[in-house]
Amino acid sequence: MSRKKGQKKVFEIKWKTNLPYRYSIGKLAVKFFEELKKNKKIMGSKCSKCGKVHFPPRAVCADCMVEMTIDDMVELPPKGTLEGFTVVNYPFTDPNTGGMRPFPYGYGLFKLDGADTYTMHFVNETDVTKMKIGQRVEAVFSEELIGDLTADIPYFNIVKEEE
Amino acid sequence: MSKHDVAVVGIGQTKFRSKRRDVNIPEMVYEAVKMALDDAQLEPKEIDAIIIGNMDHFEGINFSELFCGIEGAPGYLKPVVKVATGGTTGSSLAICGYHNVASGIYNKVLVVGWEKLNEGGATTGIITAFDPVWERPSLAGALGPLALMAGMYSAKYGITSEQAAKVTVKNRSNAANNPFAHLQMPNITIDYVMSSQMISYPLRLHDVCPQSEGACALIYANEEETKKITDNPAWFHVVETAHYYTFGTDEAMFDLPTATIASKKAYKKAGIKNPVKDLDVAEIYEPTSWSELSWTEALGFCKPGEGGKLLDEGITLMSGEFPVNPSGGVLSTNPIGATALVRVAEAAIQVMGRGEKRQVPDVEKALAMGFGGSLWSEVLILGKEPLR
Repeated sequence: MSRKKGQKKVFEIKWKTNLPYRYSIGKLAVKFFEELKKNKKIMGSKCSKCGKVHFPPRAVCADCMVEMTIDDMVELPPKGTLEGFTVVNYPFTDPNTGGMRPFPYGYGLFKLDGADTYTMHFVNETDVTKMKIGQRVEAVFSEELIGDLTADIPYFNIVKEEE
Repeated sequence: MSKHDVAVVGIGQTKFRSKRRDVNIPEMVYEAVKMALDDAQLEPKEIDAIIIGNMDHFEGINFSELFCGIEGAPGYLKPVVKVATGGTTGSSLAICGYHNVASGIYNKVLVVGWEKLNEGGATTGIITAFDPVWERPSLAGALGPLALMAGMYSAKYGITSEQAAKVTVKNRSNAANNPFAHLQMPNITIDYVMSSQMISYPLRLHDVCPQSEGACALIYANEEETKKITDNPAWFHVVETAHYYTFGTDEAMFDLPTATIASKKAYKKAGIKNPVKDLDVAEIYEPTSWSELSWTEALGFCKPGEGGKLLDEGITLMSGEFPVNPSGGVLSTNPIGATALVRVAEAAIQVMGRGEKRQVPDVEKALAMGFGGSLWSEVLILGKEPLR
């Protein structure tokens, strides 16, 4: 613990504890990760009543209270349009790793083409002057896919020119 | 409609600081609780039930109801409800307490919220409030999304960094009039805010709230009990909650539509046609300078895109027609589980005319707003007389 000059030393006990948890991701997410790993596909889910396409895939359409199953999952292109962005430039502990999250990093909000909900992910840019709302972004896949969101799609690239 | 009118009859809050290493959590909670009990001149045994709340995983302490049952708040052998809804925890507490008295279940309740943010990691804690698989990997606590929202707001309406900096200048200089506020900066300037470190574009260090430690406690009573306690209560007119998403990115929501939904409902029930004219003061939950500009729009204080103009024209200054955050707001003081309860406490203080140097003249009605990490909004209106 750092302390200022002249400040009295504080009585302190330190513990370092591992706290492992499990988290059930649901059937649609299992299908998503299987498709990502085996076929390099990004899957969302489409409501059979209103047609809203959810990404990340969801088991219930909140607007209709209609269930969606694996049969309602649809492939989405790995491309989208940037709606908002920032460059995170401050230190903090990442609860998913227990270590410090590396920074600075680009962080974007975008819709994948064909999706009706937004998603957020890392964007491979840390210069805000090169980022603009409305830019096209594209997922970058790792060479080896293991069925883990950030390991398999570490970030989205900003597409310079629309093909 | 409610079965009973409900009033705030006792208020306690600690002096908020960056660190309270001199006390543990129950000792800190006790300070605010004792102040509120003394303020209402009540003994612990006269309280029917206790509503407590904080975000305990932010500090890694998950059994706070146990030690706040006896030592901190007088909950021993009494009904205790625990509330934890993120940033809105304080306003959810306030609303939960209201329902418990308005329904006729209890006559007098104590509501207390607290946080010891620097004993944990707020950003880390906030990330755990989101989906582990889809949201946590890239989420940087509250500031990343608030930065996205600020950037989208700026791009849509042409709001400038200078306009945002004015909010920090207004609120932190207001805080100098509030003896409980954490960051009191009477001489703060726009340049000082605009030259601080960029922590998440367009947010600079002084565009964002601090991490504070402290507690806030309120005592509520129904009409019959209120008469016995005080001739200067603050009556609840309406409480409203709005939230409509599961993932943070189902909608872009940069302009906080939940605040619009909740405030419209509240205004309708409370007979407010023009909030700037019909209300006298507002204590809103502004985690960033940009949020205050955007959310004064969402709350209907001005038209969409005119939040910057509202402050430029001086309307929300202490000297203006409709002061916003005379206490210094969240940009000055942010003990998460207490933050939104402080908004309610400060609204009650304004209605009671007990604000001393931060008092707005002749307050009849005041609005308090809570905002939560899941983009929820809560709106409460208090008045000098019960709503008729």
